[in-house]
Amino acid sequence: MRFQIQRYNPETDKTPYLKEYELTDIPIGMMLRDALLQIKAQDESFTFRHSCGEGVCGSDAMNINGTNGLACLTPVSKLAEPIVVRSVPGMPIIRDLVVDMSQFYHHYRAIKPYLIVHDPMPEVELRQSPEDRDKLDGLYECILCGCCTTACPSFWWNPDKFRGPAALLQAYRFLADSRDQATNERLQDLDGPYRMFRCHTIMNCVTVCPKGLNPTAAIHKIKTLMLKEMI
Amino acid sequence: MSWRAQGLRTWLLQRLSAVYMLLFAVSFGIYLLQHRPIDYTWWSDLFTRPAVVVASLLFFAALLYHAWVGVRDIMVDYIHDTVIRFTLWILVTLFLIAMGSWVSLILLSMVEI
Ligand code: SF4
Repeated sequence: MRFQIQRYNPETDKTPYLKEYELTDIPIGMMLRDALLQIKAQDESFTFRHSCGEGVCGSDAMNINGTNGLACLTPVSKLAEPIVVRSVPGMPIIRDLVVDMSQFYHHYRAIKPYLIVHDPMPEVELRQSPEDRDKLDGLYECILCGCCTTACPSFWWNPDKFRGPAALLQAYRFLADSRDQATNERLQDLDGPYRMFRCHTIMNCVTVCPKGLNPTAAIHKIKTLMLKEMI
Repeated sequence: MSWRAQGLRTWLLQRLSAVYMLLFAVSFGIYLLQHRPIDYTWWSDLFTRPAVVVASLLFFAALLYHAWVGVRDIMVDYIHDTVIRFTLWILVTLFLIAMGSWVSLILLSMVEI
């Protein structure tokens, strides 16, 4: 099986380039992550991020044959050869497939991803009815892999100002939480031409999300909430 | 959220302008289909009616506003140099104002009050 893997060493290379690798031993059900580990065994200078190997940690997001995805959840048998693997687009490359995610985390921190409660804290935990808890389904599952945000053209053009689909999905996760009391502040913060309204419903985020989440729908719900608050 | 929320307001008005354009285009289209064949006298008569002229003026206002926001969106996406973007935006605004004035002059010159 033929692979073309993006290589980049900041000390010796001016720009990233693709390097060919060949694997002969392809067991049934082999995931791309396993293949990359085999390639790493062939060529120890190659590096990529990975950890849990089962789509929970979100470390091995990469661009696989042109589409973002998690290497650990992508069976190589489903991919056309040569399998071209690059780092996720729009992020500064540190080395090979490893990118600098600072910008992504900056936006995540900026939406205040925690409950804000103005009332005095109760003695016990903050309670929530099962129905209200259900409203967080499809939001809380995000593993912050960054596949969506780095597939978003609006993020490519304005990475410093547009929050990106992942952060906006999380913004809605806290807006939708019955225990959170900062609805108005959160909405105010997302107004303006850049932070949320750069979204043009391109929906790359929905296509690539390995957890099957829908950031576009979350963004739409934030807009609806804003409208309700205004009226 | 208040009406002053700039991002929300622009977005909302652009949606509303689209809704109006759609309603106008569809109902005007149906109206025209019902009155076939259309000749010059009928057409120029139509635009002497104040209601038609006002509805058409609103249509062009919605169209120009929609285009104004749309072009600004494209420029905010792709042109990151503030001076160039601002200059282009002024030019686009002037162009759209000119178009708006021209179409208003035409429509208002036909109406009989
Ligand atoms: S929404 Fe999906 S693609 Fe985006 S960061 Fe979360 S899990 Fe990854």
